[in-house]
Amino acid sequence: MRDVYIVGTGEHPWGKFNDKNFVEVGEVAVAEALKDAGVRWTEIQAIMSSILIYGGNAGHLSGQYIESMFGETGVPVVNVYNACATGSAAIRMAYNSIAAGETDTVMAVGVDLSPKGFLTAKSDDPRQDRDVLRWRMTGMPNPIYWAMECRKRFEKYGDTPEDLADVKVLLSQFGAKNPNARYKKVYTRDEVLNSKMVCDPLRLYEICAVSDGAAVVILSADPKKIQSANKPVKIAATTMGSAIYGDPTIRISALSAPSKAEAPLLSESYSASKQAYEKSGLGPEDIDVLELPDNSSWHYLQYLETCGFCGEGEAHKMLREGKTQMGGKLVVNPSGGFASFGEAIGAQAIWQVVEACDQLRGRAGERQVPNCKTAMAQTYGLMGNSGTTILTI
Amino acid sequence: MQVIDKVEGKVPRLPDLFSWTDEGVRIRSAKCHDCDTYFFPEYHAQHRPDCPRENVEKVLLANKGKLATFTIQHYMCPPPFKTTGDITPYGLGLVEFPEGISVAGLIMETDLDSLKIGQEVETFDYVLYKDEDGNDVVTWAFRAVK
Repeated sequence: MRDVYIVGTGEHPWGKFNDKNFVEVGEVAVAEALKDAGVRWTEIQAIMSSILIYGGNAGHLSGQYIESMFGETGVPVVNVYNACATGSAAIRMAYNSIAAGETDTVMAVGVDLSPKGFLTAKSDDPRQDRDVLRWRMTGMPNPIYWAMECRKRFEKYGDTPEDLADVKVLLSQFGAKNPNARYKKVYTRDEVLNSKMVCDPLRLYEICAVSDGAAVVILSADPKKIQSANKPVKIAATTMGSAIYGDPTIRISALSAPSKAEAPLLSESYSASKQAYEKSGLGPEDIDVLELPDNSSWHYLQYLETCGFCGEGEAHKMLREGKTQMGGKLVVNPSGGFASFGEAIGAQAIWQVVEACDQLRGRAGERQVPNCKTAMAQTYGLMGNSGTTILTI
Repeated sequence: MQVIDKVEGKVPRLPDLFSWTDEGVRIRSAKCHDCDTYFFPEYHAQHRPDCPRENVEKVLLANKGKLATFTIQHYMCPPPFKTTGDITPYGLGLVEFPEGISVAGLIMETDLDSLKIGQEVETFDYVLYKDEDGNDVVTWAFRAVK
């Protein structure tokens, strides 16, 4: 296996773009990535593209639609869906193709346009799709799952409503300085604590919105492209994990969980990050910047533990002691996180990697973490699937 | 324990998820005797790796269990969830049954402010809405044991 570098990145600002189709949103990110990498479209030897599940036939063949805009070249185009880890799957396939020597330069592209409001069931067959059960029988939108896990933490570890609010406050301070963020308002703890209660203990400002957005990375092992790239970023590891039997998490879509834990909570994310540490030879102590999936304030706290940045029940201590802020040992989500961007399922994992690259390449402006050498991007993932990417410069 | 096949005037919104018995409403599950795992719904198998998967038996969970965690929902769930009118705020909980599986469901007919992790709850049939024939369309739900 040979070393693989990210030689260019691109991003479309995140928001709601009702007057645009996904190819138009994707075009901006693809063009920016090509320009950044100094790579011509005809030098891209394969395209790994995220599927837009709400995009019909075009969404399921997103890579073909994007390819046709820039000019069809006959290269392999693979479209992939792995829920929130969709972009991780695209990056991992690009990486593996290059590392194995099949190709030299590959693009991973993630674009998504989210439907309005809650993401609901996509089929009508309860025997096949458990999602149908929870929507018809129990009235459980996604944040319910997070609230139930969050309540367990309150009881077990003593997390407080102030901790949840402080996560949003911190992230809003970063988001205000990120030109690509959808939400740029800086919040105070009181403002967050006075936002509407959605599903106790999670309040409105502690749950991410759904957005439209796009992100692209160009990977290469071609020495000339690496040399001519402006601060190429080495991929130390890019991995995926699925859930492990006995995981006690009440996972989105499921209506049951084992009562007795035989595996870690969020075992898919535990697995992905563990593989990444093993593969890269790096550990949580080596990471300067972490982009974690803050779908809610609960995720922020939980992922610090799931990925081994502190012991079980200690995340609120890290938060309270300022260890995850600018100037802390580990700076968490200096992008502003999903709290400032919202989630766009097919694009978000690649977006996290682009934001991590910006930090490593010293391009993060007012949010720049000094001396950032190692960064990690970690996804969440419906039904037990997750991805981790560790990057160095 | 006797299963009651039909309760006059009541229909489940979706089939095969719970049963009426002379000892209350019971969640329908299946147990794999090979890997000692319970499933819910009964048709969604979740075996231990390398399990031979040969001895699966349909079972009914106990009527009562312990509240493992819960939340109080303040926004009405959008369709395809359907109820007669807005039921907010409503409870949702994960209930640990003695068999070793926890099942999620609505918490209704209970003072939501008094909910506590670890408290005993019972399974009952909650009326979501009435269908065109005047039947009560029901789901399983949990409530505090009085």
